[in-house]
Amino acid sequence: MTIVKLADVEFGVELPVFEPDTSLANVQRFGDASGWNSPRFTDHEHARKEGFPGALVPGIMSQGFLAAMIHRWAPGSVIENVDTIFRAPVIVDVAHRISGVVTDIDEDTGLVEIDLTLVNAAEETRVLGTASVRLPV
Amino acid sequence: MSAPLDVEALKEEFLFKVFDEKTFSFSGQALADYAIACGETASRYTDPADADFQAPPTIATSLQPGQRMPKGFPKVAGLGMDAGKAVSPKAPIRPDVELLGKSHMQDIYTKTGRSGRMVFFVIRMEVFDPSGTEVASADTSVVIREKPSV
Repeated sequence: MTIVKLADVEFGVELPVFEPDTSLANVQRFGDASGWNSPRFTDHEHARKEGFPGALVPGIMSQGFLAAMIHRWAPGSVIENVDTIFRAPVIVDVAHRISGVVTDIDEDTGLVEIDLTLVNAAEETRVLGTASVRLPV
Repeated sequence: MSAPLDVEALKEEFLFKVFDEKTFSFSGQALADYAIACGETASRYTDPADADFQAPPTIATSLQPGQRMPKGFPKVAGLGMDAGKAVSPKAPIRPDVELLGKSHMQDIYTKTGRSGRMVFFVIRMEVFDPSGTEVASADTSVVIREKPSV
């Protein structure tokens, strides 16, 4: 269900799961656009030499995934804040998915609080996020 | 071996003092590529020809100051890690607009566990458009696990 206004949102509802594109080509595209194109993010061999399992998805890209997921759920929403904790690396070319749940609704201000979790295929948490989103009342 | 940081003295000396100013600008295509790579689908983020075209809301966290810490800030012995980022968009960021990022130390605090003390530094960048309107703020948290002084 696409969310248009605050009345469409129920406490505890789960957002549709989002599987972000963590491919090397997409991370390279992001790196070129943002300037975050260190070989740590775009070269598996380089990242392994630094001790990582593979190239890393930049944390700011993971944060962007969270925002995109919210917009897919509620296209007209206005994101007021996204707070992100990086628990563990998100590895390029590895499948991940993001889940989200509505944890608070303020009927007066139109603000909705959402908890977001990015996990890998082993269900290990990589990124945690909390977002505050405004919807038309 | 190094003495533990005097957090209260650091707060007194460094909190809320702007230590870096840097300008930034994004082309429409760069903003669209940033948004598309993140998975945005709305044309206001993905199509530079859209009448309401703007940067994706988290873009301010991608802006990096010219210097990461204030001048004179002590070198901390320990393992540093990026602990998290928070972003608060306040107004649309448009393409080809010169943005000014002003960075200051927003907070310094500690947490102590069984493995020792961890010190958190929160650097806040406030981003302004040419009219002086604040369009976003972005916090970067860095945590350092202090090496034991034994």
